Amino acid sequence: MSALYRDIVLDHHRAPRRRGHLAAPSHACDGVNALCGDSLRLELRVEQDHIVDYAFRGECCAIATATASLLGERVLGLAVDAVAPLQQAFAALIAGGEADPALGDLAALAELASYPARRKCALLPWAALAAALAGTPRTTTEKDPT
Amino acid sequence: MSADFDPLRYRADFPLLARRVHDKPLIYFDNANTAQKPQAVIDAVDGYYRDYAANVARAVHSLGEQATAAYEGARDKLAAFLNAGGRDQLVLTSGTTQAINLVAYSYALPRLQPGDEILVTQMEHHANIVPWQLVAARTGATVKAAPVDADGVLQLDRFEAMLTPKVKLAGVAHVSNVIGTVNPVAEIARLCRARGVPLLVDGSQACPHQRVDVQAIGCDFYAMTGHKLFGPTGTGALWARREHLQAMPPFFGGGEMIRTVSFDGTVFADPPHKFEAGTPNIAGFIGLGAAIDYVQSVGLERIQAYEAGLLAYATRALQSVPGLRLFGRAPHKAAVLSFLIEGVHAHDVATLLDHEGVAVRSGHHCAHPLMQFFGVPATARASLSFYNTREEVDAFVRALDKVRRLLA
Repeated sequence: MSALYRDIVLDHHRAPRRRGHLAAPSHACDGVNALCGDSLRLELRVEQDHIVDYAFRGECCAIATATASLLGERVLGLAVDAVAPLQQAFAALIAGGEADPALGDLAALAELASYPARRKCALLPWAALAAALAGTPRTTTEKDPT
Repeated sequence: MSADFDPLRYRADFPLLARRVHDKPLIYFDNANTAQKPQAVIDAVDGYYRDYAANVARAVHSLGEQATAAYEGARDKLAAFLNAGGRDQLVLTSGTTQAINLVAYSYALPRLQPGDEILVTQMEHHANIVPWQLVAARTGATVKAAPVDADGVLQLDRFEAMLTPKVKLAGVAHVSNVIGTVNPVAEIARLCRARGVPLLVDGSQACPHQRVDVQAIGCDFYAMTGHKLFGPTGTGALWARREHLQAMPPFFGGGEMIRTVSFDGTVFADPPHKFEAGTPNIAGFIGLGAAIDYVQSVGLERIQAYEAGLLAYATRALQSVPGLRLFGRAPHKAAVLSFLIEGVHAHDVATLLDHEGVAVRSGHHCAHPLMQFFGVPATARASLSFYNTREEVDAFVRALDKVRRLLA
Protein backbone atom coordinates (compact mmCIF):
# COMPACT_ATOMS: atom_id res chain seq x y z
CA MET A 1 0.00 0.00 0.00
CA SER A 2 2.95 2.29 0.72
CA ALA A 3 6.72 1.94 0.57
CA LEU A 4 6.94 3.76 3.89
CA TYR A 5 5.07 1.03 5.72
CA ARG A 6 7.44 -1.78 4.81
CA ASP A 7 7.13 -5.17 6.42
CA ILE A 8 9.89 -4.52 8.92
CA VAL A 9 8.26 -1.23 9.95
CA LEU A 10 4.85 -2.92 10.26
CA ASP A 11 6.40 -5.74 12.26
CA HIS A 12 7.93 -3.32 14.79
CA HIS A 13 4.65 -1.35 14.89
CA ARG A 14 2.57 -4.47 15.61
CA ALA A 15 5.03 -6.08 18.00
CA PRO A 16 7.29 -3.38 19.42
CA ARG A 17 10.47 -4.69 21.07
CA ARG A 18 11.43 -3.40 24.51
CA ARG A 19 8.10 -1.77 25.15
CA GLY A 20 7.55 -1.18 28.86
CA HIS A 21 9.42 0.07 31.92
CA LEU A 22 12.87 -0.38 33.37
CA ALA A 23 13.03 -1.26 37.04
CA ALA A 24 15.86 1.16 37.72
CA PRO A 25 16.52 3.55 34.82
CA SER A 26 19.56 5.78 35.10
CA HIS A 27 18.26 8.10 32.38
CA ALA A 28 14.77 8.91 31.07
CA CYS A 29 13.00 11.40 28.85
CA ASP A 30 9.46 12.15 27.65
CA GLY A 31 9.26 12.87 23.95
CA VAL A 32 6.03 14.71 23.19
CA ASN A 33 4.78 16.03 19.88
CA ALA A 34 1.65 17.68 21.20
CA LEU A 35 0.41 18.99 17.89
CA CYS A 36 0.45 15.63 16.21
CA GLY A 37 -0.41 13.65 19.32
CA ASP A 38 2.68 11.47 19.68
CA SER A 39 3.88 10.88 23.20
CA LEU A 40 6.50 8.39 24.40
CA ARG A 41 8.63 7.84 27.47
CA LEU A 42 12.07 6.45 26.90
CA GLU A 43 14.10 4.88 29.74
CA LEU A 44 17.74 3.82 29.75
CA ARG A 45 20.18 2.05 31.99
CA VAL A 46 23.69 3.29 31.35
CA GLU A 47 26.67 1.53 32.91
CA GLN A 48 30.32 2.31 32.23
CA ASP A 49 29.31 4.64 29.38
CA HIS A 50 27.33 1.96 27.60
CA ILE A 51 23.57 1.58 27.12
CA VAL A 52 22.85 -1.69 28.84
CA ASP A 53 19.06 -1.50 28.94
CA TYR A 54 16.35 0.35 27.02
CA ALA A 55 12.59 0.56 27.24
CA PHE A 56 9.89 2.82 25.84
CA ARG A 57 6.18 3.16 26.06
CA GLY A 58 3.56 5.61 24.89
CA GLU A 59 0.90 6.38 22.35
CA CYS A 60 2.42 7.03 18.97
CA CYS A 61 1.85 6.59 15.30
CA ALA A 62 3.25 3.52 13.56
CA ILE A 63 6.31 5.41 12.35
CA ALA A 64 7.33 6.66 15.81
CA THR A 65 6.57 3.31 17.44
CA ALA A 66 8.53 1.31 14.87
CA THR A 67 11.45 3.73 15.10
CA ALA A 68 11.51 3.52 18.89
CA SER A 69 11.46 -0.26 18.67
CA LEU A 70 14.19 -0.46 16.02
CA LEU A 71 16.23 2.12 17.90
CA GLY A 72 16.24 0.04 21.06
CA GLU A 73 17.47 -2.99 19.13
CA ARG A 74 20.24 -0.94 17.59
CA VAL A 75 21.58 1.00 20.58
CA LEU A 76 21.53 -1.74 23.17
CA GLY A 77 25.13 -2.34 24.17
CA LEU A 78 26.30 0.74 22.29
CA ALA A 79 28.75 3.24 23.76
CA VAL A 80 27.01 6.49 24.69
CA ASP A 81 29.46 8.40 22.46
CA ALA A 82 28.31 6.45 19.42
CA VAL A 83 24.68 7.67 19.66
CA ALA A 84 25.20 11.17 18.24
CA PRO A 85 26.95 10.06 15.01
CA LEU A 86 24.26 7.42 14.50
CA GLN A 87 21.52 10.00 15.06
CA GLN A 88 23.14 12.24 12.45
CA ALA A 89 23.36 9.34 10.00
CA PHE A 90 19.66 8.61 10.52
CA ALA A 91 18.66 12.27 10.07
CA ALA A 92 20.72 12.40 6.88
CA LEU A 93 19.14 9.18 5.60
CA ILE A 94 15.54 10.31 6.02
CA ALA A 95 16.41 13.66 4.46
CA GLY A 96 17.30 11.75 1.31
CA GLY A 97 20.94 10.82 1.96
CA GLU A 98 22.76 7.52 1.63
CA ALA A 99 22.17 4.73 4.11
CA ASP A 100 25.06 4.37 6.57
CA PRO A 101 25.51 0.61 7.12
CA ALA A 102 25.85 1.35 10.84
CA LEU A 103 22.10 2.09 10.93
CA GLY A 104 21.20 -1.57 10.40
CA ASP A 105 17.45 -2.19 10.24
CA LEU A 106 16.75 1.48 10.92
CA ALA A 107 17.50 1.99 7.23
CA ALA A 108 13.99 0.60 6.63
CA LEU A 109 12.74 4.13 7.33
CA ALA A 110 14.65 5.62 4.36
CA GLU A 111 11.36 6.19 2.53
CA LEU A 112 10.68 9.09 4.92
CA ALA A 113 12.74 11.10 2.44
CA SER A 114 9.48 11.30 0.45
CA TYR A 115 7.39 12.26 3.51
CA PRO A 116 8.79 15.50 4.96
CA ALA A 117 5.72 15.98 7.16
CA ARG A 118 6.30 12.62 8.86
CA ARG A 119 10.04 12.90 9.58
CA LYS A 120 9.38 14.41 12.97
CA CYS A 121 7.60 11.19 13.94
CA ALA A 122 10.73 9.08 13.37
CA LEU A 123 13.00 11.72 14.89
CA LEU A 124 11.03 11.79 18.16
CA PRO A 125 12.52 8.59 19.70
CA TRP A 126 15.99 9.75 18.66
CA ALA A 127 15.47 13.14 20.26
CA ALA A 128 14.19 11.45 23.41
CA LEU A 129 17.27 9.22 23.47
CA ALA A 130 19.67 12.15 23.07
CA ALA A 131 17.79 14.22 25.63
CA ALA A 132 17.74 11.34 28.13
CA LEU A 133 21.50 10.97 27.81
CA ALA A 134 21.90 14.74 28.23
CA GLY A 135 19.76 14.72 31.36
CA THR A 136 16.89 16.67 29.77
CA PRO A 137 13.53 15.35 31.00
CA ARG A 138 11.33 16.42 28.08
CA THR A 139 11.77 17.06 24.38
CA THR A 140 9.89 17.47 21.13
CA THR A 141 10.59 17.39 17.40
CA GLU A 142 7.79 19.80 16.56
CA LYS A 143 8.96 23.25 15.64
CA ASP A 144 6.22 24.65 13.49
CA PRO A 145 2.50 24.48 14.06
CA THR A 146 0.86 21.99 11.76
CA MET B 1 -30.36 13.19 -2.19
CA SER B 2 -31.84 15.46 -4.79
CA ALA B 3 -32.18 13.34 -7.90
CA ASP B 4 -31.56 16.25 -10.24
CA PHE B 5 -28.18 17.10 -8.78
CA ASP B 6 -25.33 15.70 -10.83
CA PRO B 7 -21.97 16.28 -9.11
CA LEU B 8 -20.11 15.12 -12.21
CA ARG B 9 -21.48 18.10 -14.09
CA TYR B 10 -19.85 20.44 -11.57
CA ARG B 11 -16.62 18.46 -11.16
CA ALA B 12 -15.77 19.37 -14.73
CA ASP B 13 -15.63 23.02 -13.62
CA PHE B 14 -12.74 22.29 -11.24
CA PRO B 15 -9.54 21.58 -13.21
CA LEU B 16 -7.61 20.32 -10.19
CA LEU B 17 -10.09 17.53 -9.48
CA ALA B 18 -8.93 15.77 -12.64
CA ARG B 19 -5.40 15.22 -11.34
CA ARG B 20 -3.96 12.01 -9.97
CA VAL B 21 -2.07 11.42 -6.72
CA HIS B 22 0.26 8.42 -6.38
CA ASP B 23 -1.13 7.34 -9.73
CA LYS B 24 -4.69 7.15 -8.36
CA PRO B 25 -7.56 9.50 -9.16
CA LEU B 26 -7.58 12.27 -6.58
CA ILE B 27 -10.38 12.01 -4.02
CA TYR B 28 -10.36 15.40 -2.35
CA PHE B 29 -11.97 15.09 1.08
CA ASP B 30 -10.23 18.04 2.74
CA ASN B 31 -12.75 20.70 1.84
CA ALA B 32 -13.13 22.02 5.39
CA ASN B 33 -9.44 22.84 5.24
CA THR B 34 -9.65 24.60 1.91
CA ALA B 35 -11.87 24.09 -1.14
CA GLN B 36 -10.71 23.73 -4.73
CA LYS B 37 -11.36 26.50 -7.24
CA PRO B 38 -13.59 26.44 -10.32
CA GLN B 39 -12.20 27.63 -13.64
CA ALA B 40 -14.33 30.79 -13.35
CA VAL B 41 -12.37 31.85 -10.25
CA ILE B 42 -9.01 31.06 -11.83
CA ASP B 43 -10.05 33.03 -14.92
CA ALA B 44 -11.17 36.02 -12.85
CA VAL B 45 -7.82 36.24 -11.03
CA ASP B 46 -5.94 35.69 -14.27
CA GLY B 47 -8.07 38.29 -16.08
CA TYR B 48 -7.29 40.97 -13.52
CA TYR B 49 -3.55 40.44 -13.86
CA ARG B 50 -3.71 40.17 -17.65
CA ASP B 51 -6.13 42.94 -18.51
CA TYR B 52 -6.62 45.59 -15.86
CA ALA B 53 -4.19 45.19 -12.97
CA ALA B 54 -4.10 48.49 -11.10
CA ASN B 55 -4.55 49.74 -7.58
CA VAL B 56 -8.03 50.53 -6.33
CA ALA B 57 -9.66 53.71 -5.08
CA ARG B 58 -6.85 56.04 -6.04
CA ALA B 59 -6.07 55.87 -9.77
CA VAL B 60 -8.20 57.92 -12.15
CA HIS B 61 -6.88 56.14 -15.21
CA SER B 62 -8.97 53.50 -16.98
CA LEU B 63 -7.25 50.51 -15.45
CA GLY B 64 -7.70 51.90 -11.97
CA GLU B 65 -11.37 52.55 -12.53
CA GLN B 66 -11.88 49.07 -13.93
CA ALA B 67 -10.02 47.46 -11.02
CA THR B 68 -11.94 49.53 -8.47
CA ALA B 69 -15.25 48.63 -10.09
CA ALA B 70 -14.38 44.92 -10.07
CA TYR B 71 -13.09 44.98 -6.50
CA GLU B 72 -16.02 46.94 -5.07
CA GLY B 73 -18.31 44.83 -7.25
CA ALA B 74 -17.02 41.78 -5.39
CA ARG B 75 -17.96 43.48 -2.11
CA ASP B 76 -21.48 43.99 -3.46
CA LYS B 77 -21.70 40.34 -4.46
CA LEU B 78 -20.56 39.24 -1.02
CA ALA B 79 -22.95 41.71 0.64
CA ALA B 80 -25.85 40.26 -1.35
CA PHE B 81 -24.64 36.70 -0.66
CA LEU B 82 -24.76 37.29 3.11
CA ASN B 83 -27.80 39.61 2.96
CA ALA B 84 -25.59 42.21 4.62
CA GLY B 85 -28.17 45.00 4.52
CA GLY B 86 -25.70 47.48 3.09
CA ARG B 87 -22.18 47.31 1.73
CA ASP B 88 -20.97 49.65 4.48
CA GLN B 89 -21.54 46.81 6.96
CA LEU B 90 -19.05 44.54 5.22
CA VAL B 91 -15.32 44.91 5.94
CA LEU B 92 -13.08 42.92 3.62
CA THR B 93 -10.33 41.05 5.46
CA SER B 94 -7.69 38.43 4.74
CA GLY B 95 -9.99 35.79 6.19
CA THR B 96 -11.93 34.79 9.28
CA THR B 97 -8.91 35.07 11.56
CA GLN B 98 -8.32 38.71 10.69
CA ALA B 99 -12.04 39.41 10.96
CA ILE B 100 -12.23 38.02 14.50
CA ASN B 101 -9.03 39.79 15.51
CA LEU B 102 -10.51 43.04 14.24
CA VAL B 103 -13.46 42.60 16.59
CA ALA B 104 -11.19 41.51 19.44
CA TYR B 105 -8.87 44.52 19.20
CA SER B 106 -11.16 47.24 17.94
CA TYR B 107 -14.43 46.32 19.63
CA ALA B 108 -13.64 44.18 22.68
CA LEU B 109 -10.30 45.53 23.90
CA PRO B 110 -11.48 49.10 24.65
CA ARG B 111 -14.59 47.80 26.43
CA LEU B 112 -13.33 44.93 28.57
CA GLN B 113 -12.81 45.42 32.31
CA PRO B 114 -11.24 43.15 34.92
CA GLY B 115 -13.69 40.39 35.82
CA ASP B 116 -15.55 40.56 32.51
CA GLU B 117 -16.08 37.37 30.55
CA ILE B 118 -16.10 36.36 26.90
CA LEU B 119 -18.25 33.30 26.32
CA VAL B 120 -17.37 30.84 23.55
CA THR B 121 -18.10 27.12 23.10
CA GLN B 122 -16.01 24.03 23.55
CA MET B 123 -16.12 23.32 19.80
CA GLU B 124 -14.49 26.55 18.65
CA HIS B 125 -11.58 26.76 16.24
CA HIS B 126 -8.49 28.35 17.77
CA ALA B 127 -9.28 31.46 15.68
CA ASN B 128 -12.36 31.99 17.86
CA ILE B 129 -10.48 31.34 21.13
CA VAL B 130 -6.99 32.80 20.97
CA PRO B 131 -7.86 36.39 19.94
CA TRP B 132 -10.20 36.58 22.94
CA GLN B 133 -7.52 35.19 25.22
CA LEU B 134 -5.08 37.83 24.00
CA VAL B 135 -7.42 40.74 24.72
CA ALA B 136 -8.55 39.11 27.97
CA ALA B 137 -4.94 38.92 29.13
CA ARG B 138 -4.56 42.67 28.55
CA THR B 139 -7.72 43.62 30.38
CA GLY B 140 -8.15 41.14 33.21
CA ALA B 141 -11.14 39.53 31.52
CA THR B 142 -11.51 35.75 31.17
CA VAL B 143 -12.64 33.42 28.40
CA LYS B 144 -15.26 30.82 29.33
CA ALA B 145 -16.42 27.88 27.19
CA ALA B 146 -19.93 26.45 27.13
CA PRO B 147 -19.81 22.64 26.98
CA VAL B 148 -20.91 20.25 24.26
CA ASP B 149 -22.55 16.86 24.91
CA ALA B 150 -21.21 13.45 23.90
CA ASP B 151 -22.71 13.81 20.42
CA GLY B 152 -20.89 17.10 19.92
CA VAL B 153 -24.03 19.23 20.31
CA LEU B 154 -23.76 22.54 22.17
CA GLN B 155 -25.57 22.34 25.51
CA LEU B 156 -27.75 25.37 24.93
CA ASP B 157 -29.13 25.43 28.48
CA ARG B 158 -25.59 25.57 29.82
CA PHE B 159 -24.69 28.30 27.34
CA GLU B 160 -27.71 30.29 28.48
CA ALA B 161 -26.84 29.78 32.14
CA MET B 162 -23.32 31.02 31.47
CA LEU B 163 -24.64 34.21 29.84
CA THR B 164 -24.35 36.15 33.09
CA PRO B 165 -24.06 39.94 33.38
CA LYS B 166 -20.27 39.44 33.41
CA VAL B 167 -20.33 38.33 29.77
CA LYS B 168 -19.48 41.23 27.46
CA LEU B 169 -19.23 39.31 24.20
CA ALA B 170 -20.05 35.82 22.91
CA GLY B 171 -18.38 33.93 20.05
CA VAL B 172 -19.93 30.84 18.47
CA ALA B 173 -19.08 28.77 15.40
CA HIS B 174 -21.93 28.55 12.92
CA VAL B 175 -20.63 25.10 11.89
CA SER B 176 -17.90 23.12 13.70
CA ASN B 177 -14.84 22.53 11.53
CA VAL B 178 -14.04 19.28 13.37
CA ILE B 179 -17.38 17.50 13.70
CA GLY B 180 -19.72 19.46 11.46
CA THR B 181 -22.24 20.39 14.15
CA VAL B 182 -24.51 23.19 12.94
CA ASN B 183 -25.23 25.47 15.86
CA PRO B 184 -28.64 27.15 16.25
CA VAL B 185 -27.10 30.58 15.80
CA ALA B 186 -30.41 32.46 15.42
CA GLU B 187 -31.59 31.03 18.74
CA ILE B 188 -28.22 31.82 20.32
CA ALA B 189 -28.48 35.37 18.95
CA ARG B 190 -31.91 35.74 20.59
CA LEU B 191 -30.51 34.59 23.94
CA CYS B 192 -27.61 37.01 23.65
CA ARG B 193 -29.74 39.94 22.52
CA ALA B 194 -32.14 39.45 25.44
CA ARG B 195 -29.19 40.00 27.74
CA GLY B 196 -27.55 42.76 25.73
CA VAL B 197 -24.53 40.60 24.87
CA PRO B 198 -23.09 41.15 21.39
CA LEU B 199 -22.61 37.90 19.47
CA LEU B 200 -19.93 37.06 16.93
CA VAL B 201 -20.61 34.08 14.68
CA ASP B 202 -17.66 32.32 13.04
CA GLY B 203 -19.11 31.42 9.66
CA SER B 204 -16.00 29.87 8.07
CA GLN B 205 -17.55 26.45 7.67
CA ALA B 206 -21.14 27.51 7.07
CA CYS B 207 -20.86 29.66 3.94
CA PRO B 208 -19.81 26.84 1.57
CA HIS B 209 -22.67 24.56 2.63
CA GLN B 210 -25.83 26.55 3.28
CA ARG B 211 -27.45 29.90 2.62
CA VAL B 212 -26.35 32.44 5.22
CA ASP B 213 -28.51 35.46 6.05
CA VAL B 214 -26.72 37.52 8.68
CA GLN B 215 -29.75 39.73 9.32
CA ALA B 216 -32.01 36.74 9.85
CA ILE B 217 -29.48 35.25 12.28
CA GLY B 218 -29.60 38.45 14.28
CA CYS B 219 -25.98 38.41 15.40
CA ASP B 220 -23.75 41.48 15.80
CA PHE B 221 -20.71 40.20 13.91
CA TYR B 222 -20.32 37.50 11.29
CA ALA B 223 -16.83 36.42 10.18
CA MET B 224 -16.22 34.40 7.03
CA THR B 225 -13.44 33.27 4.72
CA GLY B 226 -13.25 33.07 0.95
CA HIS B 227 -10.93 30.15 0.35
CA LYS B 228 -13.34 27.59 1.82
CA LEU B 229 -16.02 29.10 -0.43
CA PHE B 230 -14.10 28.11 -3.59
CA GLY B 231 -12.42 31.53 -3.73
CA PRO B 232 -8.74 32.50 -3.48
CA THR B 233 -6.78 32.31 -0.23
CA GLY B 234 -6.29 35.59 1.61
CA THR B 235 -9.90 36.72 1.21
CA GLY B 236 -12.64 37.01 3.80
CA ALA B 237 -14.93 39.44 5.49
CA LEU B 238 -16.36 40.76 8.70
CA TRP B 239 -20.01 41.68 8.60
CA ALA B 240 -20.92 43.93 11.51
CA ARG B 241 -23.83 46.09 12.53
CA ARG B 242 -23.45 49.64 11.33
CA GLU B 243 -23.49 51.15 14.81
CA HIS B 244 -20.63 48.88 15.88
CA LEU B 245 -18.46 49.74 12.88
CA GLN B 246 -19.12 53.44 13.37
CA ALA B 247 -18.12 53.26 17.04
CA MET B 248 -15.06 51.06 16.55
CA PRO B 249 -11.64 52.73 16.14
CA PRO B 250 -9.48 51.61 13.19
CA PHE B 251 -7.39 48.48 13.75
CA PHE B 252 -4.69 49.10 11.15
CA GLY B 253 -3.66 52.55 10.02
CA GLY B 254 -2.32 53.57 6.64
CA GLY B 255 -3.47 54.47 3.19
CA GLU B 256 -6.96 53.80 1.89
CA MET B 257 -8.56 54.18 5.34
CA ILE B 258 -8.30 57.97 5.67
CA ARG B 259 -10.07 61.05 4.42
CA THR B 260 -7.41 63.62 5.33
CA VAL B 261 -4.09 63.25 7.12
CA SER B 262 -2.12 65.94 8.88
CA PHE B 263 0.17 66.00 11.89
CA ASP B 264 -2.54 67.89 13.75
CA GLY B 265 -4.96 65.05 13.28
CA THR B 266 -6.24 62.56 10.78
CA VAL B 267 -9.81 62.07 9.65
CA PHE B 268 -10.70 58.49 8.92
CA ALA B 269 -12.79 57.22 6.08
CA ASP B 270 -16.25 55.88 6.83
CA PRO B 271 -16.79 52.16 7.37
CA PRO B 272 -16.00 49.78 5.81
CA HIS B 273 -12.90 51.49 4.34
CA LYS B 274 -11.89 52.77 7.77
CA PHE B 275 -10.83 49.17 8.52
CA GLU B 276 -9.11 48.46 5.21
CA ALA B 277 -5.69 50.08 5.41
CA GLY B 278 -3.26 49.47 2.60
CA THR B 279 -3.64 47.91 -0.83
CA PRO B 280 -6.05 45.02 -0.48
CA ASN B 281 -5.97 41.57 -2.08
CA ILE B 282 -7.57 42.94 -5.24
CA ALA B 283 -7.16 39.88 -7.45
CA GLY B 284 -8.27 37.64 -4.60
CA PHE B 285 -11.54 39.48 -4.03
CA ILE B 286 -12.28 39.64 -7.74
CA GLY B 287 -11.80 35.86 -7.66
CA LEU B 288 -14.09 35.61 -4.64
CA GLY B 289 -16.73 37.56 -6.53
CA ALA B 290 -16.51 34.94 -9.28
CA ALA B 291 -16.73 32.16 -6.67
CA ILE B 292 -19.92 33.67 -5.29
CA ASP B 293 -21.41 33.92 -8.78
CA TYR B 294 -20.46 30.28 -9.29
CA VAL B 295 -21.94 29.02 -6.02
CA GLN B 296 -25.13 31.02 -6.64
CA SER B 297 -25.42 29.46 -10.09
CA VAL B 298 -25.22 25.98 -8.54
CA GLY B 299 -27.62 27.02 -5.78
CA LEU B 300 -26.98 26.86 -2.03
CA GLU B 301 -30.23 25.03 -1.34
CA ARG B 302 -29.36 22.37 -3.91
CA ILE B 303 -25.83 22.09 -2.52
CA GLN B 304 -27.18 21.68 1.02
CA ALA B 305 -29.68 19.00 -0.02
CA TYR B 306 -27.11 17.05 -2.03
CA GLU B 307 -24.50 17.21 0.72
CA ALA B 308 -27.03 16.02 3.32
CA GLY B 309 -27.62 12.91 1.23
CA LEU B 310 -23.91 12.40 0.71
CA LEU B 311 -23.27 12.78 4.44
CA ALA B 312 -25.90 10.18 5.31
CA TYR B 313 -24.40 7.82 2.74
CA ALA B 314 -20.83 8.37 4.01
CA THR B 315 -21.88 8.00 7.64
CA ARG B 316 -23.50 4.63 6.95
CA ALA B 317 -20.47 3.53 4.94
CA LEU B 318 -18.01 4.48 7.68
CA GLN B 319 -20.08 2.74 10.32
CA SER B 320 -19.48 -0.49 8.40
CA VAL B 321 -15.70 -0.27 8.95
CA PRO B 322 -14.76 -2.46 11.95
CA GLY B 323 -13.15 -0.55 14.82
CA LEU B 324 -14.00 2.85 13.39
CA ARG B 325 -15.13 5.50 15.86
CA LEU B 326 -17.00 8.55 14.56
CA PHE B 327 -16.76 11.81 16.50
CA GLY B 328 -19.80 14.07 16.44
CA ARG B 329 -23.31 12.77 15.87
CA ALA B 330 -25.25 16.00 15.92
CA PRO B 331 -28.70 15.63 14.34
CA HIS B 332 -28.02 18.80 12.38
CA LYS B 333 -24.55 18.63 10.90
CA ALA B 334 -22.56 19.53 7.79
CA ALA B 335 -20.73 16.90 5.72
CA VAL B 336 -17.71 16.61 8.03
CA LEU B 337 -16.68 13.20 9.37
CA SER B 338 -14.03 13.01 12.10
CA PHE B 339 -12.95 9.49 12.93
CA LEU B 340 -10.32 7.15 14.30
CA ILE B 341 -9.69 3.48 13.68
CA GLU B 342 -8.97 1.48 16.82
CA GLY B 343 -5.23 1.01 17.18
CA VAL B 344 -4.28 3.28 14.28
CA HIS B 345 -2.90 6.80 14.64
CA ALA B 346 -4.63 9.52 12.62
CA HIS B 347 -1.42 10.48 10.80
CA ASP B 348 -0.86 6.91 9.65
CA VAL B 349 -4.44 6.91 8.33
CA ALA B 350 -3.81 10.14 6.41
CA THR B 351 -0.46 9.02 4.97
CA LEU B 352 -1.85 5.67 3.82
CA LEU B 353 -5.04 7.19 2.41
CA ASP B 354 -2.90 9.63 0.45
CA HIS B 355 -1.32 6.62 -1.20
CA GLU B 356 -4.76 5.63 -2.38
CA GLY B 357 -5.32 9.14 -3.74
CA VAL B 358 -7.55 10.20 -0.84
CA ALA B 359 -6.77 13.57 0.76
CA VAL B 360 -8.03 13.88 4.35
CA ARG B 361 -6.76 15.98 7.21
CA SER B 362 -5.28 14.47 10.35
CA GLY B 363 -4.40 16.20 13.58
CA HIS B 364 -6.12 18.44 16.07
CA HIS B 365 -7.87 20.62 13.45
CA CYS B 366 -6.94 23.80 15.36
CA ALA B 367 -9.41 22.80 18.07
CA HIS B 368 -7.43 21.50 21.05
CA PRO B 369 -10.27 22.00 23.56
CA LEU B 370 -12.61 19.79 21.52
CA MET B 371 -9.90 17.12 21.16
CA GLN B 372 -9.43 17.22 24.94
CA PHE B 373 -13.18 16.80 25.38
CA PHE B 374 -13.15 13.67 23.22
CA GLY B 375 -10.00 12.48 25.00
CA VAL B 376 -7.93 12.00 21.84
CA PRO B 377 -4.85 13.86 20.61
CA ALA B 378 -5.92 13.82 16.98
CA THR B 379 -8.52 12.54 14.55
CA ALA B 380 -8.66 11.97 10.84
CA ARG B 381 -11.25 14.10 9.10
CA ALA B 382 -13.04 13.68 5.80
CA SER B 383 -14.90 16.83 4.78
CA LEU B 384 -17.07 16.64 1.70
CA SER B 385 -18.28 19.11 -0.87
CA PHE B 386 -20.92 19.16 -3.58
CA TYR B 387 -18.35 18.00 -6.15
CA ASN B 388 -17.74 14.78 -4.24
CA THR B 389 -19.58 11.61 -5.19
CA ARG B 390 -20.85 8.39 -3.65
CA GLU B 391 -18.33 6.52 -5.78
CA GLU B 392 -15.56 8.50 -4.09
CA VAL B 393 -17.02 7.61 -0.69
CA ASP B 394 -16.99 3.93 -1.71
CA ALA B 395 -13.33 4.15 -2.79
CA PHE B 396 -12.49 5.97 0.45
CA VAL B 397 -14.08 3.23 2.55
CA ARG B 398 -12.25 0.53 0.57
CA ALA B 399 -8.99 2.41 1.19
CA LEU B 400 -9.80 2.68 4.90
CA ASP B 401 -10.35 -1.04 5.05
CA LYS B 402 -6.89 -1.56 3.56
CA VAL B 403 -5.42 0.76 6.20
CA ARG B 404 -7.19 -1.13 8.95
CA ARG B 405 -5.96 -4.49 7.71
CA LEU B 406 -2.41 -3.18 7.41
CA LEU B 407 -2.08 -1.46 10.77
CA ALA B 408 -4.83 -2.41 13.22
